[in-house]
Amino acid sequence: MSIVKFDNVTRVYKTGEHELKALDNVSFTLDEGKFVVILGPSGAGKSTLLNMLGGLDSPTSGTITVNDKDISRLSDNELSDFRASTVGFVFQFYNLIPTLTVYENVELVSEISKNHLDAKQMIEEVGLSDHMHNFPSELSGGEQQRVSIARALCKNPRILLCDEPTGALDSETGVMVLKLLLKMAKSYGKTIVIVTHNQSIAKMADVIIRVKNGKIRSIEEQKAPMSADEVEW
Amino acid sequence: MLTRKLFRTAWSYKAQFISMIIMITLGIGIFLGFNMEWYTIEYDTSRFFADTNYADYRLYSQDGFTDEELDKISGIDGVNAATRFLSVNLDLKGKTNKSLALDVSENYTVSTVVVTEGAKYDKNGDGFWLSDKFAAANNYKTGDELTLEYQGLDISGKIAGLIKSGEHMICVADKNQLMPDYNSFGYAYISPVKLRSVLREKMTETMTEELRKAGVPENMMQEKLDELLTDKAMTEAENKVYAQINLLSDLDKETLEEAVKNKLGRTIMVTSKTDHVVYKEAKGESDEGKTMGSVLPVLFLAIAILTMVTTMHRIATKEKIQIGTLKALGFKNRRILRHYTSYGLFIGLAGTALGMGLGYLVCKSVMSENGMMGTYFDMPDWTAATPFFCYPVMLGTIILLTLISFLSVHRQLRGTAAEALRPYTPKKMRKTLLEHTKLWDKMRFGTKWNLRDLSRHKSRSFMTLFGIVGCMVLMVGGLGMRDTMAGFLDLLDKDISNYAVKVNLVDNADSKKAKSLASELDGDWESLSGISLEGDTVSLDIVHNPKDMYNVIDEGNHRIALSDEGVYLCLRLKNKARIGENITFSPYGSKETYTAKVVGYNRSVMTESVTMTDTLADKLGIEYTPTAIYTDRKTGDIPSSDLIAGKQDKVQLMKTFNSFVSIMDGMVIILVIAAAVLGIVVLYNLGIMSYVERSRELATLKVLGFRNKQIGRLLISQNLWLTVIGVIIGLPAGVGVLEWLLLALAGEYELKLMLGPLTYCVSVLLTFGVSLLVGLMVAKKNRKIDMVEALKGTE
Repeated sequence: MSIVKFDNVTRVYKTGEHELKALDNVSFTLDEGKFVVILGPSGAGKSTLLNMLGGLDSPTSGTITVNDKDISRLSDNELSDFRASTVGFVFQFYNLIPTLTVYENVELVSEISKNHLDAKQMIEEVGLSDHMHNFPSELSGGEQQRVSIARALCKNPRILLCDEPTGALDSETGVMVLKLLLKMAKSYGKTIVIVTHNQSIAKMADVIIRVKNGKIRSIEEQKAPMSADEVEW
Repeated sequence: MLTRKLFRTAWSYKAQFISMIIMITLGIGIFLGFNMEWYTIEYDTSRFFADTNYADYRLYSQDGFTDEELDKISGIDGVNAATRFLSVNLDLKGKTNKSLALDVSENYTVSTVVVTEGAKYDKNGDGFWLSDKFAAANNYKTGDELTLEYQGLDISGKIAGLIKSGEHMICVADKNQLMPDYNSFGYAYISPVKLRSVLREKMTETMTEELRKAGVPENMMQEKLDELLTDKAMTEAENKVYAQINLLSDLDKETLEEAVKNKLGRTIMVTSKTDHVVYKEAKGESDEGKTMGSVLPVLFLAIAILTMVTTMHRIATKEKIQIGTLKALGFKNRRILRHYTSYGLFIGLAGTALGMGLGYLVCKSVMSENGMMGTYFDMPDWTAATPFFCYPVMLGTIILLTLISFLSVHRQLRGTAAEALRPYTPKKMRKTLLEHTKLWDKMRFGTKWNLRDLSRHKSRSFMTLFGIVGCMVLMVGGLGMRDTMAGFLDLLDKDISNYAVKVNLVDNADSKKAKSLASELDGDWESLSGISLEGDTVSLDIVHNPKDMYNVIDEGNHRIALSDEGVYLCLRLKNKARIGENITFSPYGSKETYTAKVVGYNRSVMTESVTMTDTLADKLGIEYTPTAIYTDRKTGDIPSSDLIAGKQDKVQLMKTFNSFVSIMDGMVIILVIAAAVLGIVVLYNLGIMSYVERSRELATLKVLGFRNKQIGRLLISQNLWLTVIGVIIGLPAGVGVLEWLLLALAGEYELKLMLGPLTYCVSVLLTFGVSLLVGLMVAKKNRKIDMVEALKGTE
């Protein structure tokens, strides 16, 4: 069953007289519950694609359907509600609220999500029970990213969107975070989309979408993806 | 190239830059304006006083002064000039409610005039030299005929010239009138020669009547009159009317008093110019300005500079990467410092230049012929003078602002280029006390977020609070001042002055006749005279008020039923004696001393006075003559009498107070507008800063799915909390500042702090309005936040 459908999506950025086509007539579908990796060099349009999918940005033309809902022409408030209910984000630089503790950062989503999960339980599952009442600045990068995973899942979204989630971490911590991310996504049955330029991560994916110059170069389904331990980092 | 960057960077921080320039403009402008105001009053009035030989001392004698006595006084070492002087209030013939003070300066060396139109003053002239303001208000021109009534006699003549006189720079009929009203009261000078001819006429009339009564036949009349009206008799009459000697002298009062006593062999009432209504009021105005100039503008300037500290620090930290880049490129520290320091210098120069313009406008709006003081002071020249200390203050402000930006950047430049390149890391979060309580867990996320943000950015929060408190203080201070004044006038109108007309009696009115006139008019009366109380010249107010037409009020503004057991001291004399203690005083021109027990304190309208009942005065054996009768009769129903020197309608009197209130209103409007602008600028500047600093957090909230409205509410609620706290602090602080101001003005007025509910409402609502407006302005920016952009890069 498909959960995401891009139909001739184009995104043009105008800066003065310059026109930059970040996405050029992109079409694809994604099935629910899959682990998808969007791969490409920097400037290829990966992040634009992810932002479109997450309702942070709207296409110049074409339609995007997520969970049977056309999100390409929504108002600001409708987009907010869409993000609150359907997608969870994990960023390269975590983007935790520095003035809130670990628990409060996760608990925060209960203000906007109706069917959210228990914040305490999520923190326990990412292994940070001991740091429940610490501020982000008191945690390591890996720990902060775990908090951001807990926060993203706590909303109980259909899709988890991750933009270079291991980009700011050393490889050892990166693998650990990645394992956790996949384990959690699997146990909660979430579709997970990761944007990266790291070829190794792609080896674990169910689907690999390769992007270059705003176009999709290939969509590859891997019959037997490797596990994190099998991958050479 | 760096210069180009200077302007581009300034442009990218335009909100901060413009608001800082506005703050400095306001700070310097209000500071300069208020200080120029009082200094210009001092400067202009003292120049005018010098031009018209305004008297340093006035000697009064009820029996008048002789020519020889004048010579003796002129001969005192240290007396530079002296003249016999007459000033008497007379009604205009055939006009109701119009009167003039008629002045004669005998040898025209002291208390002279400046002619603004018409003939020069002539010692032997026959005409009137009339106040130009009175002439303008009543449509008189040079050459017009003028007739005054003097004890049943007409004094007529042509208007020879129009004048201004230092003696009447603040042209009020008596001490109870606050504001000049040129429509009903003015002044005129005549020559001593004309005075002599008027006296001659008067004497002829009185003597003819007396001779007739004595049975002298008409054909013998002229001969008899010539016999009686000798030069000697004329001189005697003249001596009697010149009840005043005005003189110029640098001697101090005690020395002069002593010298006068030695020369004349009797105690003479000597009053220095500091006791003269014109000098005293002008001094009071400039003192009042000094007081106003010392608190409020300093508050403005302080807020402006403090805002600058926070803002420059923020800009420097935001520019940290750029500073590091410049350093890595090989720019020397000195060059970078100079670059960023020039921001402060630029703001200082621009703000100060604009502030000087604003200051000039503020000063002129008060001190100019069409300004607020235009109706109060009657002077020929209006300038705008700056007290010297303002220059170092302005220079200091520019230097301080430059220094602030220097230090802000200097901090970022420390260490290696690599260190400078590392982005600014905000302070680590620490838990506040509140977080250890149970209450914390129950708070909503927004509340926690805002509370932590406030404690994390303490200087920003403090500055915001300071701005709101400042805004509140200025509003409460300004509006409260007006309330107090209006309340006082209401009190004066309803409680103190319960009469319709005040009838001023002539000097030396016969006591018995005056009292019987009072009872004929169904009125109360009072007797005002000068006494010396422990070396100070104050007024003795003897009151007879069974009809409650003229009342005395206590500190709490309640009427006092005067006791016959002792005297009442006005609040300014409170330190002279406690209740139950005795005071000793002596009337001027008398060797007698009297002792009386103090039984209470009263609030006096204008004069510093000791009040007692006539019963007590009689018991003590004080000699006095009533000076005014207060009655309910209409002006037209009061029979003419030799005793009456003039009549004052209370409605007319209160009208002059109203123009005084309108001056207050002008000042208050300036203050309230300034307060609102101050509030808006400070809050907007800090609001934008807080918004920019939190843009990443706000973007995160938006990504998570928070709606714009929810985020806007977060931003506004922080502002509103600070406003609530600011109002709670600012309200009593404003009342405190007001009380301090009243205390500082206490030398001039005995005002009781009165604050109407409207003042509280307006101040609180306006402050909240400002805060809400700014909150909405900032929250609106939130809609345009670029989530993708804001989330790029590291924390």
